Amino acid sequence: MMRFAQGIRVRSDHRDELVALLADWDRSQATGEVMGYIGTRLLADRDDPGCFLIIAEFAEVDGDLTPAAEAERNNRREETERWAEQLRALVDGEPVWTHYDELYRTGLTGNLRTG
Amino acid sequence: MTTSGAAAPTAGGMGRGVTTDEANLIARGVAAAVAPPGGLEPVQVSLLGAVHAAVIGPPVDFATLEPLGPVELAAALASRPTTFRHRVVHLMVLGELILRPIPSEVARNVERYAKALDVDDRFVRIARRYAQGAFGLAWLDLHQSGFADHWEHARMDQLKTNVRLEDQLAAGVEDIALAERWMSFAELPPGTLGRSVWDLYRSRGFGLPGSVGGASAYLAQHDFVHVLADYGTNLDGELEVFALIGRADPDPKGFAWLATLIGLFETGYVADAGFFTGDLRERRLDRVEMHVRIADALRRGQHISDRLDTDLLDVDYHALVERSVADVRAELGIEAKSGAAASAGSPGAFDRAGMSRIQQEYAESLGGEEAR
Repeated sequence: MMRFAQGIRVRSDHRDELVALLADWDRSQATGEVMGYIGTRLLADRDDPGCFLIIAEFAEVDGDLTPAAEAERNNRREETERWAEQLRALVDGEPVWTHYDELYRTGLTGNLRTG
Repeated sequence: MTTSGAAAPTAGGMGRGVTTDEANLIARGVAAAVAPPGGLEPVQVSLLGAVHAAVIGPPVDFATLEPLGPVELAAALASRPTTFRHRVVHLMVLGELILRPIPSEVARNVERYAKALDVDDRFVRIARRYAQGAFGLAWLDLHQSGFADHWEHARMDQLKTNVRLEDQLAAGVEDIALAERWMSFAELPPGTLGRSVWDLYRSRGFGLPGSVGGASAYLAQHDFVHVLADYGTNLDGELEVFALIGRADPDPKGFAWLATLIGLFETGYVADAGFFTGDLRERRLDRVEMHVRIADALRRGQHISDRLDTDLLDVDYHALVERSVADVRAELGIEAKSGAAASAGSPGAFDRAGMSRIQQEYAESLGGEEAR
């Protein structure tokens, strides 16, 4: 099953705080219930200093919701809303949210023993 | 089938008091829980069969078992204590962790069995994350839930160090007093625990605890177990020693060690665990011989757990360094390897076959006298 990715483009002078915010989020998610959220990346734009792209990835959980639907479900969680408020406190202006369905990924092919 | 003939539930060990009927029910439940949609993989049949025979009951052929559902398995084990049921769930997790990738259906199925058995287990959750592809979260979960618990309980005085590392799996830092203590093991008579572990370090060129790049004081505890349990220091030996250490821990969280090393050395689910680094060039658990060796390490660990009721990494080995290896083995209840493990080629701590290629090259550079 392909994944779903949410992009969040922000402008900020608080790079380290952004990293800490994401790391704190991951620590809090790691020992909780298995959700659709499976990880994130924070990318700094080399051509536009102060511009960052957060890519959060989602996958299926129980097979009854698509990864995109799991992301929607995640967005409605109170802790996600609190996290978004913390993010807004670190950035200039409103974050730009984009949404992507994954079509291809380098990696496992599904063969149980050969990967 | 019935469990009416079962002996009184044990305090947490598995082999004792398990009837043939109950052992078969466990095998059927485990096989049903971890079977991918196309049926059990040969590696699952072999590993689970070896482990079942070593720690639960008479040998069974996992390839031909009639499935047993979660509710039925839970009913069969209803009189067993939580720790016993927890160990059964860990058998299931072991059976799924060796798959790459873990099919989502398998991870969800194991969770259904765990819930039916009323077992809340972090490794079930970690396997679900592997199945999702959430390897980073899984590592955070494994790290926070498994190892952190261990070293937070480790006593600094017992480890003979004043340096508290944030991550005890990372390489150690300079601690002169600790390094001098380890250096002093060289003066002990041959055959003592301290001298033997010194010889192990010397023959392989390992950096001493307390020296930059050496093992942390906490992780160095496992080197005493290499000597006591007579396991090599190549990747196969590390799998054996941590299978034993993990199962010897009376707390099921000890399963973190084996789960991590399988992820590091077998499936790649764990990319790097600090001092140990993944190496997937050769599949270790594809070999029947390794299944027998891992199973025997779990059997020995189970015996230690029943006898000692203490995490082997919490033992004050520094208080035992002047005693003979045989004496300490007897005190801790470390049994000899089984004939099957020996026949499967399990090398001893000082056998050349128990060294990695780099360790062998180092040993050869020392000359025959010191290389042993």
